[in-house]
Amino acid sequence: MRISTIAFANLKRRKGKAIFLTIGIAIGVGTAVALLSLSTSIKEEIGSQLDRFGANIVVVPQSNSLSLDYGGVSVSSVSYDVKQLKSEDAANVLDIPYRNRISIVSPKLLGAVNVEGRDVLLAGVDFESELTLKRWWHIAGRKPETDQELLIGYEAARSLSLIELVTLTDAQNEHASHSGSHQSSEDQFQFKIARDHLRIAGIDHLVAGVISQTGGPEDQMIFGSLAHVQSLLNKPGQLSLIEVSALCKDCPIGDIVSQISERLPQAKVSAIQQSVRARSETIERLTRFSAVVSAIVLAIGSLMIFTTMMGSVIERTKEIGVLRAIGFRKEHIIKGLMIEVAVISVLGGLLGWGAGMLASWLALPYFAETRVVFEFQPLLGVTAIAAGLVIGTSSSFYPIIRASRLDPSEAVRYV
Amino acid sequence: MPFVTIEKVTKIYESNGESAAVRVLTDVNAEIAEGEFVCLMGPSGSGKSTLLTVVGAMNHPTEGRVLVDDIDVYGLADERRADFRREYLGFVFQQHHLMPYLNSLENAMLPLATTNCSSKEKRDRAMNVLEKVALADKALRLPNQLSGGEQGRLAIARAIVNDPPLILADEPTGSLDTKTGSEVMGVFLKLNALGQTVFMVTHNPENSALAHRIINIVDGRIE
Repeated sequence: MRISTIAFANLKRRKGKAIFLTIGIAIGVGTAVALLSLSTSIKEEIGSQLDRFGANIVVVPQSNSLSLDYGGVSVSSVSYDVKQLKSEDAANVLDIPYRNRISIVSPKLLGAVNVEGRDVLLAGVDFESELTLKRWWHIAGRKPETDQELLIGYEAARSLSLIELVTLTDAQNEHASHSGSHQSSEDQFQFKIARDHLRIAGIDHLVAGVISQTGGPEDQMIFGSLAHVQSLLNKPGQLSLIEVSALCKDCPIGDIVSQISERLPQAKVSAIQQSVRARSETIERLTRFSAVVSAIVLAIGSLMIFTTMMGSVIERTKEIGVLRAIGFRKEHIIKGLMIEVAVISVLGGLLGWGAGMLASWLALPYFAETRVVFEFQPLLGVTAIAAGLVIGTSSSFYPIIRASRLDPSEAVRYV
Repeated sequence: MPFVTIEKVTKIYESNGESAAVRVLTDVNAEIAEGEFVCLMGPSGSGKSTLLTVVGAMNHPTEGRVLVDDIDVYGLADERRADFRREYLGFVFQQHHLMPYLNSLENAMLPLATTNCSSKEKRDRAMNVLEKVALADKALRLPNQLSGGEQGRLAIARAIVNDPPLILADEPTGSLDTKTGSEVMGVFLKLNALGQTVFMVTHNPENSALAHRIINIVDGRIE
């Protein structure tokens, strides 16, 4: 017989209490594991969604000339000492070592055109990549599909009398709000396309859609297909800028910028620090939230273990007193109780890890919008067991020390 | 030279806010020789059990000292006093205080759990004392599967497994009927006959009649 024999026999005898404590630790650890696992997976998703939500790198030509302005980014116009960007440069961006971190490359050609007596900024874009990049755009109408089709910014459409404002009745408003934002009918935009033809440089174009007001530079612009606009502006193969969205996992944005600069020496490549910082801050906040919730759950679990252990010590006062009376030292009492707590804690940690992983696997589809890959994390198992052990032993420390200090004569009298 | 010397022992339970200070023992002096069987008698509340726990190195006296085999028991540090209890004393409680989740063999082995003996030696010694108290055939039974007398004998087995020179017993037959009480007394007599010193608290005159000597205590004083 060893002290561990007594500890195991005691656990066997007090099965209910042992199971209750194990479940307590398992709930605490399991919640922390589930939150950690969920937040890791969701962080990945949010990260990649944020990465796709707008560009975080802009490539413009190196130039000493005056420039047009596009959303605060300087764009060179025809002038001296201009190093032009070419259509193939967009493909070259995807030729850097970090190409797997680049999700979208959206080349553009910008130029001023006079339409029906008004100066408007005309942008040639690749609609596929542009619309993926500008997910916040709501289009009344549809995406342009041919070279002769255009997408018009709200203010540009208004000034060219392409749209008519409509006043919705309350009933229509309610219908519009209930029908959701996926409807492409014009009534949810509070305007309707009044005229769907526009003549630019002598060529008749079809207005495929109008972008709802965004408050951004696109409100004043007309968008056409890149090749068509290059031809209209008589700038074949030329680009004004390239917007790049880099998947910012671990955020090697500086490295990506350096690699693009190296690949396109005639271009000026800059990272939009604001978007990079916003991404980091969002993810940081999510991590902090998970940590705080986990800490609260673990603290509640610890408190529960503490009160249960205190109750257990009081309940076992007589037994501990007898052990002290027959010659058990304080350290023997501590060792016996610690073995019990350690067994419960390891089991609780293990169970918590399994339950947490299972819970996060089951819950992930409800939290993540896109399909997120569930990661089985064995290392988290080791951490969970260690966490269970730390919670169990630290919460039981005071009750156990108190038990070891019991005066044997008092304890034996306590019947 | 006496084996146990109780020297001017006074015990006062201090006031704890709810109750006033209680003087339980006053200037108690007594001696017990090696191999002697001494019964401590007195009315309820006279301080018998307190004196037994004081001699049993479990209850620090307010004044005075206790010497066992010339060792000043309360001069020892707390952990050394625990070792002393294990090596020198066998304590038999009135309610037996057996561990309900351990079988008879494990209960008998309990004081050996903290020693460095091999598992086999611990088992052999426990079986040996179970034989001495005629419980060898019930070694694997739990305490609740034993009769009152058997539980009493098992408590004695646990007290003597370390072969302590001094056995302290607090009314070991108090909760037993006459027949089973006699069984238990028989075990104490046998152990005493083998040379172990026995100091027993009892109310029962029939039990005390079997002892070598009776010490009477009234209101915390030896008469």
